[in-house]
Amino acid sequence: MNLLSLAIKNLQRRKTRTLLTIAGVAIAVAILFALLSFSAGYERQLNSEMENLGFNLLAVPKGCPYEATTLILHGGVIPKYLTNDDLARTRVTPGVAVAAPMLLQQVIKDGAPHIVYGIDPDAMIPLKPAWKVNGRFFNASETNVMVIGSTLAEKENLKPGSVIPFGPAQEAYTIVGVLNPTASEDDNFHFLPLADAQRLFKKEGLITAIAVKAEDVKDIPAIAAELEKVPDIQVVTMAQVTGTIMNLVGSARTLLFSVIVIAIVISAAGITNTLLMSVNERTREIGMMKAIGASGSHIALLLLAETVIITALGGILGIAAALAGSGIIEAFVRGIVPYAPPGSFVSFDPVLVAGCLAFSVGLGLLCGLYPALKSARLSPMEAIRGEWE
Amino acid sequence: MSMIEATGICKTYRRGSEDVCALRGVDLAIEPGEFVSIVGPSGAGKTALMNILGCLDTPTSGTLTIDGVQVTGKKEAELVKIRRDHVGFVFQQFFLIPTLTVEENIGLPLIFSAKPYDTSKINAILSRVGLSHRAGHLPSELSGGEMQRVAIGRALVNNPRILLADEPTGNLDSVTANGIYTVFEELHRQGLTLIVVTHNMELAKRAGRVITIRDGCVDRACGHQLP
Repeated sequence: MNLLSLAIKNLQRRKTRTLLTIAGVAIAVAILFALLSFSAGYERQLNSEMENLGFNLLAVPKGCPYEATTLILHGGVIPKYLTNDDLARTRVTPGVAVAAPMLLQQVIKDGAPHIVYGIDPDAMIPLKPAWKVNGRFFNASETNVMVIGSTLAEKENLKPGSVIPFGPAQEAYTIVGVLNPTASEDDNFHFLPLADAQRLFKKEGLITAIAVKAEDVKDIPAIAAELEKVPDIQVVTMAQVTGTIMNLVGSARTLLFSVIVIAIVISAAGITNTLLMSVNERTREIGMMKAIGASGSHIALLLLAETVIITALGGILGIAAALAGSGIIEAFVRGIVPYAPPGSFVSFDPVLVAGCLAFSVGLGLLCGLYPALKSARLSPMEAIRGEWE
Repeated sequence: MSMIEATGICKTYRRGSEDVCALRGVDLAIEPGEFVSIVGPSGAGKTALMNILGCLDTPTSGTLTIDGVQVTGKKEAELVKIRRDHVGFVFQQFFLIPTLTVEENIGLPLIFSAKPYDTSKINAILSRVGLSHRAGHLPSELSGGEMQRVAIGRALVNNPRILLADEPTGNLDSVTANGIYTVFEELHRQGLTLIVVTHNMELAKRAGRVITIRDGCVDRACGHQLP
């Protein structure tokens, strides 16, 4: 037997109270871990999505706010357009390696919105090295053909060769290829040749946005400045888009962190209350231990060991619960933040796990310090007489 | 050299705005291997004296020497060592830890000392207090007398030279109390110095010497010496 086993046995005296305290710590740590994990995961996934976009700038119609630009990236349809002339001017801007035009439209099928991208395959495919197609890609001049994302193909049970009625006039379109999963929003879209999409939606000569890849990232500010001179064009860099999205989720994040703080304060009060009650009940016993040779530091160590056991167990359970329930947490978070990139936010990050455990134990030590020091300083006489207060 | 030598011990407690004098100049010498009973009416100062003799409390004035070590004026850290290495304590309320077995309760002082947790030593003590068959039991499974035997065993595990017992039979019936005194007599025969506070004069007379405390002083007129 040693101090640690004595601490464990002490905690077994009031099992319900100990378990409730552990549960309180577990809830606080689960919230802390899930939200920190979400926060890190969100930024990671967002940056990953921006990197996967394959371009550095987006030329959008003037007056299109950043918020609307972020929607374009997820297939949002805006009512303003650029023209083929704007595309031509963009392509001749010094430093521009690729300028890929996009026309975004939406069709409703079986009550659900479907996003349609009209693209120039010769310009877009070099921007998307991750795109691998099952079947083939269309060429720019083809009509009534499309490539679709993998999630969409699975949902609609479509494969290369399938023919579907599509567009306002329900024309027959042949699926010539299905993209392999990209873990991005592309998995949900229909891709059509740009000219065919312009014809289908009666938007001849119109473009929603132009994705621009610079020959060198150092040229991005110069390209942006040059493109801003075009009367119709507003330039949005991907850094601006990321910043805008982070601002959008900022308020949601503030709310989530408020929840963390409240959970931690409640948990800390619970731990302190448990320890104070426990010490108060055992004051005479502490006196006995001092009488048989325990020093003040033995008593303090014993109580701190008890609190560390509670908080370490609570921390482990909380992290396990957060990982096990990450699906529910993500669904909840996705429901309240305005822009959620694809991919999992909550993941097993050893640094975060260690950090949350250390926080949990640190919280326990902090909460246990007052009862531990007070008990350690009690004189054996006071303790034997039960004079805690 | 006496095992315990107290000279002019006074103890004054502050209760609210009033000073209460519990001990008024107690002089006492207890020899090695002596079995002493301390008796006296309630509030006479018996427990105050025991607490000072066991280094649980410090005198307001006077000097105390235990086993040749001057203890008055020592700091709490040094008193801890004296309590641990020289003195064993038995209380009226047993103070056993309910989640520890008999064996673990007896071994409890070892975890506060530098000595190893020696189960053979604990088994020997279990045998000395007649509880070998109860080693794995919890206190809730024991009778009052057995619980007090566990407390005696716990007081002995660090091999003290002095055993102090404050009303050890106060919560026990007369048969069980007799049994506890039989254990004390056996320990006395083995050479331990015993000081036992009791209200029971019959039991007190089983000690080699009875010291009566009255109004915070040793009542010399009441001294009782067995032949």
